[in-house]
Parts: sequence; C-alpha cells; structure tokens
Amino acid sequence: MSLGDIPSPARRDADGTDGAHATDTTGGVAPTWLRALIRRANALMLLLSMFAIVASCVVLTASVFLRYFLHAATDWQDEVAVFLLVFVTFGSSGWVQAQRGHIGIEAFGGFLSERVNRLRWWLCDLISAAFCGFFTWKSWTLVQDAWAEGMTTSSTWAPPLWLPYGLMASGMSLLALQLLVQVLAGPGPRERSA
Amino acid sequence: MSTLAVGALYAASTLVAMFSGLPIAFALGTVALVFMMLFMPASALDTVTQNVYEEIASITLLSIPLFILKGAAIGKSRAGADLYAALHTWMHRVPGGMGIANVVACALFAAMAGSSPATCSAIGSTGIPQMRARGYSPGFAAGIIAAGGTLGILLPPSITMILFAIAAEQSLGRLFLAGVGPGILLVVLFCAYAAWNYRREFRAAQALAQQGGPGSEILRVENFTWAERARMLPRVLPFLVLLIGVMVALYGGYATPSETAGLGGILALLLVAVAYGAWRPSELRSILGSSIKESTMLMFIIGMSLLYTYVMSYLHISQAAAQWIIALQLSKWPLVAVVLLFVIGLGFFLPPVSVILMTAPIILPPLKASGFDLVWFGVLMTITMELGLIHPPVGLNIFVIKNVAPDIPLKDLVYGILPFVGLIIAALVLICLVPAIATWLPNAVFGTQ
Repeated sequence: MSLGDIPSPARRDADGTDGAHATDTTGGVAPTWLRALIRRANALMLLLSMFAIVASCVVLTASVFLRYFLHAATDWQDEVAVFLLVFVTFGSSGWVQAQRGHIGIEAFGGFLSERVNRLRWWLCDLISAAFCGFFTWKSWTLVQDAWAEGMTTSSTWAPPLWLPYGLMASGMSLLALQLLVQVLAGPGPRERSA
Repeated sequence: MSTLAVGALYAASTLVAMFSGLPIAFALGTVALVFMMLFMPASALDTVTQNVYEEIASITLLSIPLFILKGAAIGKSRAGADLYAALHTWMHRVPGGMGIANVVACALFAAMAGSSPATCSAIGSTGIPQMRARGYSPGFAAGIIAAGGTLGILLPPSITMILFAIAAEQSLGRLFLAGVGPGILLVVLFCAYAAWNYRREFRAAQALAQQGGPGSEILRVENFTWAERARMLPRVLPFLVLLIGVMVALYGGYATPSETAGLGGILALLLVAVAYGAWRPSELRSILGSSIKESTMLMFIIGMSLLYTYVMSYLHISQAAAQWIIALQLSKWPLVAVVLLFVIGLGFFLPPVSVILMTAPIILPPLKASGFDLVWFGVLMTITMELGLIHPPVGLNIFVIKNVAPDIPLKDLVYGILPFVGLIIAALVLICLVPAIATWLPNAVFGTQ
C-alpha cells in the first residue's frame, strides 16, 4: 500500500502529522465563530469515524462467527460495514483537509518564488472548494431524491438509501466548509492555512 | 472534435491540473466534471455523486481502510524491532545473516502491515543502525531495507492487488495467491544478493586488516546461545499467529476478503494492546487517526479516479486509446514492455491506486486481446510499481530511508539501492519467461481458469 501506497515526498503533505489532533489555524476573513465551529465539527466527526472504523471491523468479524458457529444468516453485515466505512471516508474528509492530508504533486513548487507559490496554493484551494461545493450540492439533491422516492438498496435487508447518501452529503458539506475557510484565509504561507 | 482529440485534451488537462498542485483527488474530480459539462448531456451532472457513491460503496473496496488499520496498528508497535531481533538471533551464523534477517523481517512485516513505507520505517529504524554497527556499508544496509519494504504491495493482502482485481474484474483470491510465488522469488533474490555482497565486503575488510588497516566490525564473530534464541521466539509468535490466522480465514473459506480485513483489524488492535500495552486512548487515537487520514485520502483518490474513468469511458476515450494500441499490432512481448514502461513513467508522479484505476481501461483490453492472463499481468504490474517505490530519483522508499538514517548520503543510498532495482527487473523478466511462478499457486488452489 500500501498503497498503497502513499505518494512520494515530492508530493505535498504539509504538516506531515499523523496524530488525531486537527491543526487548523486558518485566519483571514473567515469569522472566528465559523472556524471554531468547523474545528469542533471536524473533531467530532473524527471521533465518530474512529468508532465507526472499529465498529465495521467488529461487524465483519461477527459476521464470520455468526455464520460458522451459529449458522445464522449474514445478510445485513456487509451493508452495515459499507455504511460505516462510507461515513469514515466522507465524515473525516474535512479533518483530513484541515491536516492538508489530501495530497497533491508538488514537483514544480521548488522552481517558483514564495509569492507565486502562495497564489498557486490559494487557487488550488479555490478550485477544490468549487469542486467540493458542487459535489455537496449534488449529494444533498441525491438525499432528497432518495428520501422522496423511498429508495432502498437492492439487498433482502433493503435499508433506505437516504442514510448512506446523507452520510456522504454531511461529510462533503464539512469538507466544502473547511475548504471555504481555507480560501477565505487568502494567499499565505502553507503553514498558516494548514 | 474527434474522440482522440478529446482524449488528448483530457490527458493534457489532467496533467495541468495535477502539476498545478491541486490535491490528486480534487484534480481528477474537477477535470472529470469540466469534461462532463463540456461534452456530456446536462443530465449526466445530476448523477455525479451517485456514480461516485455506487463505485465506492463496494465492500471489497471498502476493505482497504481496514487493511490500513491493521498496518497502522502493527506499524505503531515495536513489532518491527522484535521481529528483526528474533530473526537475527536465529540467522547470525549464515553468511550475511544480518542482511538476510532484515530481508525476511521486511517480508513478514510487509505481509502483516501491507505498507511499503511502514515496513521501511519499522524494520529500517532498528535494522539499518544494527547493520552499520556490524560493519555493513551504509548504502548496502539502506538498499536491503528499501528493497525489502517494496514487498508490502506484493505479498497478500495487498491494497494494490485489491484495486487491480476490481479494475480488471479478476478474482481477488487468485491475485493474492499469485503474488506469493513472485514474493518468495524476490525474497530469495534479495537474500542471495545480501549474502553475496556481505562476502564481498567481508573479504575487502579482511584484506584491509591483513595489510595492517583498521579492523572492521564486519569481521567480529557473534554468538547466541540456544537459550537466547528460544527466548526471542515468544516475541514474534503473536504476529505469526496474526499472519497465519488471517491467511487461514481467507483461504480456508471461513471469511471473504472484506471479513478478513475486519478480522485482521480487530486482531491487530488486540495484539498491540495485549503484547505491547497499546490500549490507552492516546495510543489508540494515534493508531486510528493515522489510519483514517491515510484511508480517507486514498478512498477519495479512488472515488475520483473511478469518476474520471467513467467520463473517459462515456466519451469513448479509453476505447479509442485501447483500439489505437491494438492497431499498432505490436507483438506480445513488446506490448507488455511498452505498457510496463508507461506504468513506470506514471508511477514517478502518481500513487499506485491512481495508476491502476486510470490506466486499466486503456491497457487491459489490448492485453486481453493478445491472450495474456490478467492475473499474471496484475502481478507484473504490481512488481513494476514496486520498482517505482525504490527507483531513483522519486522512489518513496528512498525518502523514507533518508528519514530513518539521515546521515547516509543520498549518493550512497542510490548506489546501494541500484542492485536491487536490477534484481526486481530480473524477477520481472523471470516471471515473463516462466509465468507459472505467479500462476502455479492460484491454479493449484482454485483450478486452471
């Protein structure tokens, strides 16, 4: 992997931390209350994501034991695990962005002046915010459609689809807000907006 | 505008977006979205999120965060140091035993953690200083660890192979097993080189000592009693249980790959809590936080790569590119060589997940048309991406080692790694000449395809 593995250090991972504490110190024209709210929301989503990732492990492990020792049907476990992991992925995305954990290629950064780099980083944040804003809008539309039409998954358990769509939409909303705050911080050194 | 012209524009826009410094996930998503706006019906934009959700909400794909959790739990413990120390006490009599112990420790750790950088960091932080203290040249010591670390993406369970299985619609069980033979081949090649180069450095030190020069540590004889060797065993036992337990669950038919990932995650958390006392909230937060950070970043790249390839397919770019490659009428082996060179080139800039998902729709149809076994090719592609992990100038493992042993000059590091690059290329050639190295085990277990 890992990874997948992780990309080369030629790519950006600004603060390099892997701790669980968000390091968002964004300033600029973003109101203080908004920054504090997002910081707290990110911390809450991270905590819930931690529980969710462990819970998905427990559900999948239980699935093996239920099937082999109790010969019980295991028709809901995979979907529960998928919903939990969808939550982990989207729910923590704002926190990951606050950590500058969504990595990019920084191959040419060294050839540019600090001023140009600051402007480039800000433009990258602006484009990212626009993309995530669009994605968030369409995610909520999807939730609305799934709710209105009573959409369910195609399994025998058939849970409502507004639930995972809602998890995706709320996570994307937080990510879009996090990016917005970073855009409002204006062009500055990467550390400032990290 | 012709399909190939749209394709060229798509590729150029992607390069510009990527090299502008945009996060990879958002760069792929933005390019896909812009091309949807320009070249696809407006209704397609309404299904963007549904497409991403449906692609990502696969239990096989979502096992990736759980394998990452397992790796993070093992990686944050002292398992690497213990594994290395135990193997060293058992192998110290073999010429180059310390180097061999490091290679084997890397292979075992990689199989447990599934991450190349984590393996380099965990084994290297103990192994490199120990090897240097015993007179191994710095470049040689660093090369052993950098190369050993690459095994993380080949030995099962490998995240790279999960993605290839999804992209190529191949059996994940077969792919995992197909990585075992080549993994062992690489371990044997690395160990053989470690023993040979040890002898070379030993003889050079001996000659120097005979001429009255300073005696090198490499000449010192080390001994461990049987009692000392036996005492080391309990340190590695829990991790061997984890490794074997996960494999038995998967191949014994007890659990699906995703259930195995969940089981591995729980077992790894329990093991580091029991064996290393990592049960305090701060330690768990660190393990869970780093797992979430890595997996979210990766899952976003995967989700957006899938959206990117969906647009590529809708606009017939991938089909046209694949037809163009087929029309070149390259014979079988030049085709494989060109495809692998293309993968190496992309691997300089992109993580393996993006390389696999973005190139699969283009390169797999021509390979299929030429009659290649895609499971076998999946192994070749994975080994090629291993090469990218240590290939100068941008191989990730080089930078991880530089972090672990900052005093080793980059030049020494690169010279120490280059022989291993040669060995990986030799393994690629061998697997091309003898495909059974990869295909024998899956065929023996699951039957011939």
